[in-house]
Amino acid sequence: MKRLKFLVITVITFIAVVASVGHAANAPLDELIAAAKKEGVFEFYAPSTLTPQGAEELAAAFNKKYSLNIKLNYNPSGSMTRDVGKIVGMAATGVPPEWDLMVVHDGGHSSLWLKKLHKPFDYTKVGVDPQLVGYDNGTIILANQFILPAYNKKILPPQDVPKSWEDLLDPKWKGGKLGMGTATHHLARLATFWGEEKGTKYVKALAKQQPSLGRLGEIYSRLVLGEVLVAITMTDSYIHSAKRKGAPIVHAEGIEPVISPVYNAGVLKNALHPNVGHLFAVFLTTPAAQEIWEKYGGQTSAFVSGTPAYKYAQGKKVLYMAQDQVKMVDRLTKEYGKILGFTKK
Amino acid sequence: MQSAAAQGGTVRVLARLLNGGLNGTSVFAGGLLVLLAVIVGVPVAMVALMSLRTGFPGEGGPLTLANFISVYADRSTYEVLVNTVLFATGTVAVTLLFAVPLVWLLMRTDIPLKKTIFVLLTVGILIPVFLRTIAWILLLSPRIGLLNQWLSQIFGLEEPPLNLYNITGMAFVQGVSFVPSAFFMLAAAYRSMDPSLEEAAYTSGVGKLRTFLKINIPIPMPAIAAVMVYLFMTGIAVFEIPAIIGLPARILVLSSLIYTSANPATGLPDYGTAGAYGGVMLLAGLILAYFYVRVVRQGKKYTVITGRGYRPRELALGRWKWPAMAFVFFYLAIEVFIPFLVLLWTSLLPYMRLPSAAALATISLKNYLSIPDYVGARPFINTAILMIAVPTTTMVLSVLVSWVVIRTQVSFRGFLDTLAFVPHAVPGILLAVGLAYLGLAYRSIFPLYGTVLIIVLAHTIHWIAYGTRTTNSVMIQVHRELEEAGKVSGASTPRVLIRIVLPLVAAGILNSWIWVGMLSYREVTMALTLYTRHNVVISTVIWQFWGSGWIPEVSALGVVLILFAVIVVGALRIVLSKVGEIGAAT
Repeated sequence: MKRLKFLVITVITFIAVVASVGHAANAPLDELIAAAKKEGVFEFYAPSTLTPQGAEELAAAFNKKYSLNIKLNYNPSGSMTRDVGKIVGMAATGVPPEWDLMVVHDGGHSSLWLKKLHKPFDYTKVGVDPQLVGYDNGTIILANQFILPAYNKKILPPQDVPKSWEDLLDPKWKGGKLGMGTATHHLARLATFWGEEKGTKYVKALAKQQPSLGRLGEIYSRLVLGEVLVAITMTDSYIHSAKRKGAPIVHAEGIEPVISPVYNAGVLKNALHPNVGHLFAVFLTTPAAQEIWEKYGGQTSAFVSGTPAYKYAQGKKVLYMAQDQVKMVDRLTKEYGKILGFTKK
Repeated sequence: MQSAAAQGGTVRVLARLLNGGLNGTSVFAGGLLVLLAVIVGVPVAMVALMSLRTGFPGEGGPLTLANFISVYADRSTYEVLVNTVLFATGTVAVTLLFAVPLVWLLMRTDIPLKKTIFVLLTVGILIPVFLRTIAWILLLSPRIGLLNQWLSQIFGLEEPPLNLYNITGMAFVQGVSFVPSAFFMLAAAYRSMDPSLEEAAYTSGVGKLRTFLKINIPIPMPAIAAVMVYLFMTGIAVFEIPAIIGLPARILVLSSLIYTSANPATGLPDYGTAGAYGGVMLLAGLILAYFYVRVVRQGKKYTVITGRGYRPRELALGRWKWPAMAFVFFYLAIEVFIPFLVLLWTSLLPYMRLPSAAALATISLKNYLSIPDYVGARPFINTAILMIAVPTTTMVLSVLVSWVVIRTQVSFRGFLDTLAFVPHAVPGILLAVGLAYLGLAYRSIFPLYGTVLIIVLAHTIHWIAYGTRTTNSVMIQVHRELEEAGKVSGASTPRVLIRIVLPLVAAGILNSWIWVGMLSYREVTMALTLYTRHNVVISTVIWQFWGSGWIPEVSALGVVLILFAVIVVGALRIVLSKVGEIGAAT
């Protein structure tokens, strides 16, 4: 009897401890929700591919999940690079940023991070996977892009399809048969994997191939037309678009590493509604938000289990940019732009 | 040194004002002078300021020459300058090659279908340059160009004979796109040319071609030279063709460096470097503006336009009619028909591809039906605002300036006229970068960044020189007697301006109003430099879509816009048929 009594007390005590721990874990989230509720509204900057309808859907799902009635003002991106520059300029004059939460590519957030323009938050405290948190608790990874060489499968014979990054240095591609978009940071990211020396040597060799240059979309168009035979790098959004329209453009699958820049969500320093911003950033990593993001933006997070990006990344050598590589990538991006001829040497 | 000179100039102007006695006209003219000095001077000052700073707009910091040193100590800058000069020179040559014979044929001969050709020339202006470039890529690309493929097959060549991706190719495409503007600028000179010299030549038995070469080119040479200077200045500032045709082949020009410095693909904008590059462009603009003024003055000195009434006799082309028609339609084919057909074809496809039976099976109207979904209403609303606000503000300012310059005895009217001409020396891209810097760095006193008003302002400043040249020439034709009669009858000066002068010059002003509206509609360089999500206009939408690879979608938009333009321009041609062709009053 005594034993039974002891067992019951032990079980009850255990349940009480577990429950209190669970409550403790939820407490920061509850506090965040309560603080967000007081703010009532927030300015959300995100890619224009999300569209106002997509933003509305996100807002509705967000309010439903946290039982809130927050008004979301969607600000579609124009030029992400320039808008990041605008934030830097506004911060310099002490003016609060126009947006509370900014979703931009990691190149943009790295510029903000280097200028210390994030409002950090301990996202892990509210249950976010630490893998998703970056830039000194300033951002959360929301979606991944996947970058590989791409080609026109109706024009390029199967035996010519590149099998590795080095295959692009074959002399047969010389003289405008390759295309390179302005996103030279793709190649700078490769250098973080290969080492700077090998990376730079590779880019110099690519420059000798005299690739056709242009914005990524232009390279895609030239690829469709057959003007260039292989795009050195192409984001998966173009491949998805090609598939949807029946255009014969595909990634040269099998090449590794697969480069994966990310879209980050980060609350800006001196934001007027930081709590809603942080809570919304957390929400963006949930399956419900991921589904909406995929529906409109076509991309998902490789770090959220079950998403298409997660499935794609399994078993592949995927190259993500670490925080300590930001400065190197930033420097090499400019240097590689010069080597390839986008800007003067 | 320059600052001291400028201060001295200001003091002299103020002294003249005071010595002359401050009457209402002087005060009004003085206010106009200050307004122009501010709207023209501040963006230029911003370019100078940003070139002397290394940080971001709003960060302040000490003034430095670091940007100039990094730009001009670099040997490759001079290679870019050489490219820029070659590109601009080639562009001018190509433009004149088409424009001078065209204007002669349409203004001095009995070539048929004149009205249709005028409408088609105007439509050509409205086709975005880069959409035409797609057609050229399909024709002249070394790998896929149809013309290259045909020539290679016919002559059994191993290498493609033509290549679009060099400075010649760039200059050709850009030059062809400038032809309508040059045409309308030259039309006035050719129309008002006294035909007695031509008639004397024909009477003496000189042939038509020789008369054209010996009389019809030399006589309007000052006008042609002025157009050359104008086109050269425009040629060094444009950046669409350098971006689309030059960049793939690593050919950089000054405008592409300024644009990429202020709008880098990655990283943060470098306004300081953009300003330093702009310095040489501004200098070139000022030198060219000086020559432009000299050429125009020379033109007036040697003019053979007489005051006596005459009715220019149209030269009968006779057996030359068909070669002349072939020339005109060859030009219209490369300027309007082929680009339009390429656009039409592409707009019906799910993705861009060369004509084939397989491609034909995929055509649909899907891209047309989805225009509202992917464009939305904002670009159309903003463009409509531009097309109304820009010509209105430009022409109101121009009329007021011209009235002071032509109709009053205000002592500083010459200075006012020169000030109104200064924007002509400031390349559009530089003006826009200056305004963007102003909007970002001093948004509390200039809260226009990101609004459509900043584009309205940029366009207005840019075309004020054109506007005032037009209104000067229109107003000078109205005899003073009419105003004097009004004043004798007791009417006040504003009443005379509104009730007598304006109705008399209304037709010419309306003509220029339409012209400036069309230029504003198609302008992309300044709009793109000042572009944010909120002030997006059709030209920037088209540019962004092209950059995103959405060619079929943007082609559908292009076709709709061109058809709309044909209807509007056709209607305006009918309405204004008694006034003269659009843009003629230059």
